[in-house]
Amino acid sequence: MLDQLISSLTDGLLLGFVYGVAAMGLTLIWGVMSVINLAHGPIIALGMFGAYLLFTHLGVNPYLAMAPVAGAGLIVGLVIYVIAVHRVINAPHLSSLLATFAVNMIIIGVGTAVFSTSPQNIDYSLGSVEVGFLTFPASRLVGAVGAILVTACLYLFLYFTRPGKAIRAVANNRMASELMGIPSSRVLALSFGLGAMMAAVAGGLIATFFPFTILSGGPYELKSFVICVLGGLGHPLGALVGGLLLGGLEGLIPTFMPVSWVPVVEFGLFVLVLLVRPSGLFGAK
Amino acid sequence: MAILEVNDIAAGYEGVQILWGVNLKLEPGRLTTLVGSNGVGKTTLLKTVMGLMQPIDGSVSFQGKDVTHLSAHARAKAGMVLVPEGRQLFTEMTIYENLEMGAFSPRARATFSQNLDKVYELFPRLQERTRQKAGTLSGGEQQMVAVGRGLMAEPEVLMLDELSLGLSPRLALTLFEALTRLKKTGLTMLLVEQNVTMALAVSDYAYVLAEGKVHLEGPARELSKNDEVRRTYLGI
Repeated sequence: MLDQLISSLTDGLLLGFVYGVAAMGLTLIWGVMSVINLAHGPIIALGMFGAYLLFTHLGVNPYLAMAPVAGAGLIVGLVIYVIAVHRVINAPHLSSLLATFAVNMIIIGVGTAVFSTSPQNIDYSLGSVEVGFLTFPASRLVGAVGAILVTACLYLFLYFTRPGKAIRAVANNRMASELMGIPSSRVLALSFGLGAMMAAVAGGLIATFFPFTILSGGPYELKSFVICVLGGLGHPLGALVGGLLLGGLEGLIPTFMPVSWVPVVEFGLFVLVLLVRPSGLFGAK
Repeated sequence: MAILEVNDIAAGYEGVQILWGVNLKLEPGRLTTLVGSNGVGKTTLLKTVMGLMQPIDGSVSFQGKDVTHLSAHARAKAGMVLVPEGRQLFTEMTIYENLEMGAFSPRARATFSQNLDKVYELFPRLQERTRQKAGTLSGGEQQMVAVGRGLMAEPEVLMLDELSLGLSPRLALTLFEALTRLKKTGLTMLLVEQNVTMALAVSDYAYVLAEGKVHLEGPARELSKNDEVRRTYLGI
């Protein structure tokens, strides 16, 4: 019993790192510009298809494919910002929600037409890893390591580079940034691009675990919301911890009750945290 | 020739016009002060000069060029720097990072280390706690960071909005001393200050704003002897 628990927990935690990356994309965008990106799920799905297409049609190793997927995610994010988000950036929240929701519908519509909704998968196995009595797919381990790398890169970027610091400055006080000569609109576009990049990479990594369709991003978008609330919306590192928490729960719950209860528990927790600690478990205020 | 010229600026917020044709000139190397009662539009004028607000009418020119339609960050890059009311620091960032952000534009980056030395010399207190988050500082220290951040931007014109607001008389004095030291380096400054006595004492030239227009102007020393100014703003 204990063996099984630990093994489910490990499984869940490894997955949780990747959830964390997905949620980081959402939380970064919120933290910088107070926009909830409702196109987050479809961008995750685009990441899945990016990795899939590169692997199936060009024979690119799915893990190496993460680099072009990240680059494409960044560009997609920049384009979405310029076309749909920038003009409503100072408008009430409803406008940006509707704008990103429209993008969501566009991506899903076009994606359904192009890829249909039959499930695809990346047929690439790394075998399994055994650590003591634990056995889990190696892809999970590589995925987790990838997620940690991405998180570390984001952290280093935000704290040790000029554009990264500019992002933090704009997030902190947009007017003051303008007064200091920081082109805040460009910084917002970059932040949105980075958020989309995180989503795409998370999608690419998830595609190495599970089959997917163009609609698969939706559940991960919802998970990202739960994670952001757990970790405190706007805190990238909180998102990683929240991801681990959610992943751990997803691993553990099925050992006690049917799998179909997972979302019930997740969203129950979501509501509970919102009621008790609306700033998130690790939120400052 | 004036380094900064404000020509017939009319500005306001939705439905409420506040400025009705303000004219102002900053001569290089001079400390100019803007006096006026609360709500007369001093901050509105500075915001319009910086491009945080678009004027209804009129123009702003800087170093002979019309900048009326430039964005705030482009003006900052050119050397127009505002230390805003309420300090507006990057509260989640350290003192050092705040100063670094001040020197964001390429022009300011070139002189980063000299300017950093200058700021530390002016406010030694900042050097003692460079890694501290700006949001955790006292009001006076925050104002020092705000001025320091403005200086890091390598300003051609430094505008200071309500420098001493909310500070103890002693801290206010420290900041005014810093101002006079900066004046000696030949920096052009525009000061908006509720402490009119102090402001007129350190300034070369002054404008009195009333009813959305420049009501009086002249050398600061003369204005401080003007009966109307004494009655209305100095309370004598």
